[in-house]
Amino acid sequence: MQYLLNGLPIGAIYALVALSYSLIYAASGVLNWSQGDMVMLGAYIAFSLFQFFHVGFTLALLGSMFLVGAIGVVVQFCILRPLRKREAPPINVVIATLGVAIVSRNIALAIWGPEAQIFPSPVSSVPMTVGALSVTWQDLLIVFGAFCLMGVLHYLLKKTRKGKALRAVAQDRYAAILMGVDTNKSDALAFAASAALGAAAGILIAPVFFVTFNMGAGIGLKGFVAAVIGGLGNIPAAIAGGFFLGIVESLAGGLISSGYRDAITFTLLILVLWLRPSGLFLRKARQRA
Amino acid sequence: MIKRVMRKKIILLAAGAAILVLPVLVSNNYYLHVINLAGIYTLITIGLNLLSGYTGQVSMGQAGFFAVGTYVAGLLAINLNIPFWAAALAALVITAACGAIIAIPAMRLSGPYLVLATVGFGEIVRLVLLNWTPVTRGAAGLTGIPLPKFFTWQCSSESQFYYLIFSVVLLGTYIAYRLAHSKVGRTFAAIREDEVAAEAMGVRVSRYKTAAFILSAVYAGMAGVLYGVFSGVASPDNFTFDDSVTFLCMSVIGGNRSIAGAIVGSFMLTGMSEALRALQAYRLIIYGGVLIFTVIYMPQGLVGLAVTVRKAIKGGKDKPASAPAEGEWKP
Repeated sequence: MQYLLNGLPIGAIYALVALSYSLIYAASGVLNWSQGDMVMLGAYIAFSLFQFFHVGFTLALLGSMFLVGAIGVVVQFCILRPLRKREAPPINVVIATLGVAIVSRNIALAIWGPEAQIFPSPVSSVPMTVGALSVTWQDLLIVFGAFCLMGVLHYLLKKTRKGKALRAVAQDRYAAILMGVDTNKSDALAFAASAALGAAAGILIAPVFFVTFNMGAGIGLKGFVAAVIGGLGNIPAAIAGGFFLGIVESLAGGLISSGYRDAITFTLLILVLWLRPSGLFLRKARQRA
Repeated sequence: MIKRVMRKKIILLAAGAAILVLPVLVSNNYYLHVINLAGIYTLITIGLNLLSGYTGQVSMGQAGFFAVGTYVAGLLAINLNIPFWAAALAALVITAACGAIIAIPAMRLSGPYLVLATVGFGEIVRLVLLNWTPVTRGAAGLTGIPLPKFFTWQCSSESQFYYLIFSVVLLGTYIAYRLAHSKVGRTFAAIREDEVAAEAMGVRVSRYKTAAFILSAVYAGMAGVLYGVFSGVASPDNFTFDDSVTFLCMSVIGGNRSIAGAIVGSFMLTGMSEALRALQAYRLIIYGGVLIFTVIYMPQGLVGLAVTVRKAIKGGKDKPASAPAEGEWKP
């Protein structure tokens, strides 16, 4: 039961990252490998805002989300747009985003150095105990923050004009173009929103783990795994996949072996891919060229 | 016609002679070491080109096969002291089996799903190597992998390794070249272009896909065997996801639709990462930048670019293959 509970905060983080992958994939058909590094950049930028401008946690969160979202737009503008113009094969797009990941990771290394930074938690570090179970306030904050962000995203997608355009493009790109949707703008929006979501995940997780220049690789990969296990390109499925993965990891680490935890995760992934390629929580795969 | 054949022969002879005398000319052991490493990476990249460039199945888990090759051959040689060729053979059989196993789930996948499955495979291999301590010696890795010995000839210096590695690379290049220009190569390309159409034309897609996976696994496995004896030590840290990404970059930057591209890409990236070593963190920033630049402006890699340029110079009527169609915009 404790393991189950421990899996929730990390699951919430995976869900956010999975969401960011799914959003970009659905909206622009791109597998963006630099998502994990947006998580890292989010944590670092918030850390710097914290340290040099002494802003509060909420302000650091929002500022960092905004800045990383802007980075997402830059990536879309400088890299995705020329690739689209040249009709590059999908794998080249993936490799270009890998290039973005390498560049941003090493720029972070050059700026913030190789030492792990400690990110102060905005809440008390004394865990709360209920019966035999204990939770830290930070864990609660993570889960709460993740749900807030998901709510905001849901609102933006369902209720605003831009969000509706984004969903239209996700459903049928050609039809959306014919209806007068500017796909360049919707792509930029998807990249910005995804990067900002990743950044938020980074800030929420930062007080639990240390902030390092290569923290993005692991979280990014796990987030992607969660998105695929749930069902890539579908938002509720990505969230479910995130929590599912977090709980499975926590159980596997606690009950079987912590060394093999990740190996179990990846075996599960390959099994899911093999037996249910559309994901655990989706009925059938969306056909995508 | 005869003239062309002659010229081709002369070029091949000159290249062969250059390869033969290179260790004599390059007296600096460090350079020779880098060249040897590039040779090992060439093998992996050739396998990857057959798999992803020709057949269209992208793998980001080649480091897994590479690791299996190193560990199987290394452990057999260390623990049982069996001769190099036998250990190498066993390693190739096991990596081929791994290739066949990963081909099973890969059969039903494409695009990002396939990429992720191969990433998963690579990570599983690394984590098992890291955690199955009684057999693989865990994080400490293998040390003291014995030097390869053929009857009485012991391979130990950089230049001896050079001849060992490059005879394998030449053999591997020859086999790959013949394969790529045979019915098999064309079948691979047919699968890449349109799987359904290929199936409809009577191609047994699953059989050829499995074959491509096994081939790439064997190439990476052989590279692993050589890497083990060449460096003498190996640990799970040598076979990370980042390494798989590097191999993919070599393949794409060189040009993944030709065997020559594999060679160019491996040598260029190995050379570049050594040359930029002094820049430390900035090295990888440049590396990433080159990567982005390549996929945007020369999607067929350096070899593709060379072909385009040559065609343009010759004034051939056919348009360069990589030029985008003007005025046409597709989302």
